Amino acid sequence: MHGRSLKMNGMQRFTPGASCSTAQASLLKEKFIKTIFFCTAFFAIIVITFILLFLLRNGYPIFEQIGVVNFLLGTSWTPTAFVPSYGIFPLIVGTIFVTIGAMVIAVPLSIGCAIYVSELASPRVKKVLKPAIELLAGIPSVVYGFFGLIVLTNFIRISFDIPTGETWLAASILLGIMALPTIISVSEDAISSVPREFKEGSLAIGATRWQTISKVIVPAALSGIAAAIILGIGRAVGETMAVMMVAGNAAIIPNPIWNVLSPIRTLTSTLGIEMGEVPVGSLHYNALFGVAIVLLVITLIVNLSAVAILRHLHERGMRRQKRMPLITLERKESLKRFAEVSGLAVVMAALLIFTPWWCPVLFLLAGVMWFYGREQLSQKHIEKLAFTLIIGAAVIVIAILFIILQDIVIHGLPAISWEFLTQSPSDLGRAGGIFPAIVGTLYLVTGAILIALPLGVGAAIYLVEYTREGRITRLIRTGVDLLNGTPSIVFGLFGFAFIVLFLGVGVSLIAGQVTLSLMVLPTVIRTTEESLKNVPQSLREGSLALGATKWQTIRRVVLPPAVPGIVTGAILSIGRAAGETAPIMFTAVIFSSRFLPNSLFQPVMALPFHLYILATAIPGSSVNKYGTALVLLILVIAFYSVAIVVRNHFQNKIRG
Amino acid sequence: MNTMNIKKSSYLLLTLSLVAVLIASIAVAGCIDKGTNTAVATPAPTVPSTVPATVAATQQQTPAPVSTTAPVSSGQQQTISISGSTTVLPIVQAAADKYMAAHPGVNIQVSGGGSGVGIQAIGAKTVDIGMTSAEVTAAQKAQYPSFVITTVAHDGVAVIVNPKNTIQYITFDQLKNIYLGKITKWTEITGAGVPGTNNMIVVVGRDSASGTRTYFDSTVLGTATPINTMLEKNSNGAVSQTVAQTPGAIGYVSIGFLSNDVKAVPIWFNNLKIVAPSISTVVDKSYPFSRDLYLITNGQPTGLTGDFIKYLLSPDGQKIVTEQGYVALTT
Repeated sequence: MHGRSLKMNGMQRFTPGASCSTAQASLLKEKFIKTIFFCTAFFAIIVITFILLFLLRNGYPIFEQIGVVNFLLGTSWTPTAFVPSYGIFPLIVGTIFVTIGAMVIAVPLSIGCAIYVSELASPRVKKVLKPAIELLAGIPSVVYGFFGLIVLTNFIRISFDIPTGETWLAASILLGIMALPTIISVSEDAISSVPREFKEGSLAIGATRWQTISKVIVPAALSGIAAAIILGIGRAVGETMAVMMVAGNAAIIPNPIWNVLSPIRTLTSTLGIEMGEVPVGSLHYNALFGVAIVLLVITLIVNLSAVAILRHLHERGMRRQKRMPLITLERKESLKRFAEVSGLAVVMAALLIFTPWWCPVLFLLAGVMWFYGREQLSQKHIEKLAFTLIIGAAVIVIAILFIILQDIVIHGLPAISWEFLTQSPSDLGRAGGIFPAIVGTLYLVTGAILIALPLGVGAAIYLVEYTREGRITRLIRTGVDLLNGTPSIVFGLFGFAFIVLFLGVGVSLIAGQVTLSLMVLPTVIRTTEESLKNVPQSLREGSLALGATKWQTIRRVVLPPAVPGIVTGAILSIGRAAGETAPIMFTAVIFSSRFLPNSLFQPVMALPFHLYILATAIPGSSVNKYGTALVLLILVIAFYSVAIVVRNHFQNKIRG
Repeated sequence: MNTMNIKKSSYLLLTLSLVAVLIASIAVAGCIDKGTNTAVATPAPTVPSTVPATVAATQQQTPAPVSTTAPVSSGQQQTISISGSTTVLPIVQAAADKYMAAHPGVNIQVSGGGSGVGIQAIGAKTVDIGMTSAEVTAAQKAQYPSFVITTVAHDGVAVIVNPKNTIQYITFDQLKNIYLGKITKWTEITGAGVPGTNNMIVVVGRDSASGTRTYFDSTVLGTATPINTMLEKNSNGAVSQTVAQTPGAIGYVSIGFLSNDVKAVPIWFNNLKIVAPSISTVVDKSYPFSRDLYLITNGQPTGLTGDFIKYLLSPDGQKIVTEQGYVALTT
């Protein structure tokens, strides 16, 4: 036996001398491939560092000349006045207030909806509801803004009998709706991943379903829900177009401070409004970069805390026996009491201000009745009440989706015709079609995905397959997180200042494609990473044990099952890129053009921007703007539905 | 093994479908692109030199009936881009529509943004022509010495309110006090009021990039800044749309943007007389809120840029100016 195996070894060693050099060649090839993947991963780091440095370099002069304190706490923002002043305090306050308002609206609705979807809904309802909520996430922000401008502001103006509906309230409602899908899907994940035994145990000792949900399941999922809310906050803080279109954009602090019917201006809309006009190198230019830095810092704090909470959650899942609650029990109690009292006070104040006198009285009466009557109420009744509220939340969410969709479809359908889809616009977009805009959007997203996909997939492969967790991966991952949380308008600012002006590329297709690809890069990296991680380690080990090289293993064993995930990520990115306005507004688009661009260095028309201009600047274009909104909506939703179908298809396949 | 096969086949299918979708979208775009281009600009730039001279000649003669000096050969697709003032935008867009109808190979791309955007863009050379309704300041001229400024039309700035407002006229001082926030109710103005509302005034103005705002602020407010609750809109169209939708609103737009949706308010200038904004009152200078509209180029305009500006200044071009509701140069 022994001798024989030796012989075998010897034989192998002596067979063709060529095999030695092939081995060397393949080793070289392996190294080469690894280097390529390393480069793509490193690219993410370089990009994020570069964006940060560029922002800092251009924003620094404002801090130097005005002073950090004056810049951050100055209460007057009049950069083009006779005596300009650059105080962004009202803008910061605006951003924070709008976000708080959005959360007040979004949090109860989305948590109610998440509980409904994961605990109460029948499988059939769930099957309809989940895609519907994902659809809500797919609606481009400029469509939300358009809806807000046409329908919501008017509604607010009439129902509150105020001179104009462009208010803090309008912006908050709109942002709340936009944050719904994020919060719902993440907290639904958190609730669904609470171990079954918890629920079964609670039900087994005789608790009602509502007691189980409120006392066991939700507390167990609390960290996940918190992360969901923070992600929602991040979305709200970074949003530009929708806010810009409905908030009135007066740079003031509401007076009195809780006056939700006052116009308001956020950091993002300031960038969106003033970026195109500002002379390069002026103090105003530097001030806008200062605004971008402040915005970036706020979103970084928000997103990093979400990441930290999620990671905490993940680690907790890893070693469940050593559970470390984020908040201790006593602190939770006092926090809860504080939240209850302050919440009640806020509601009372709001009712006192906005509604006729009998509303707060009624509310107070109901409260008193609840306080004394709750002992008498049986658990059954409480459960009924709670479930009604939860179902109500779900119904409201669906109703919102329905209202937005039906408004756009009903008004948009008459505009759709063959001419509308195939002709160029005329008379400032009031007449003619939107063909160049449709194709321009396709050009933009195709270019963006062609740039982002190889880079993103490469970076993810490097992160998952070639490295162990260490300093470099952590660095890269933090970079990706930072890039992910960056508001799209900051990408727009960077693209405009660096690619368009500094590199002298000009407003062009390529500038827009690069800007969009930077924006979707983190999504591609994340989703690819996730799907690679889902491939069982044993498959890799098996392949390597059979003598396959690393690259062979990746190409033949790891990548094939990961492809659905990667494709889903790519399609979602395409959908997101197609609907974005802020990044291309200053880098790639022109309002009207007769032909399609015949080189990468020409500007294009794009659907979201066309809709934005029609909605805000061209009176008398109501048919065409609804038509444009509908086409944009259909395009983006088509991308999203393909992604959802692909994902579901493969989920079922894996399960089956 | 079976599952592996399924996975492999679906993997193949997926990649194929993704690639197919991408290629299809590019191909469709490209095809139609080519289709439109060839439909309008018949001989593509790659016309071989062996084409008989007669054919080339007929092809060159068919278009371009308007301007014989057109430097635009029919064969090539030429593109210029224009951006800036939303006041000048309708004139340039209408002129571009007409010009492009006469010159099938020409593509004139037009964008708004405001006068500040126009000056910034032409200064940074990201466009071929910048539009502005604000005079180029000495500082800007010094910064961009290559600017050549062409006046293309006259314009008046009209004060507008919602049609529901009963206002008959407004004095210069009242206007100033409204924009400074010293007058906040319509009832403080003789004859004004919006029935069915609380008569609060909603002050609507333009963003800081606007030439119309620069003009309005400096003429009406002097060096003061408008009240900070003013709703800032990014175009003439947006102001007129907001005023049309908001019963208590007041705003200002170029007279080219007057329509039946809004009510132009006559102004009582310093106890002299009450004048309504219109083309004729701007022409006879009895309405003093008037100004010029400019196009800016880098250096003397040549080629397509020059030809387009020449067209705007021609009688045909100036007729478009009048059609759009502005004041032509010749009158």
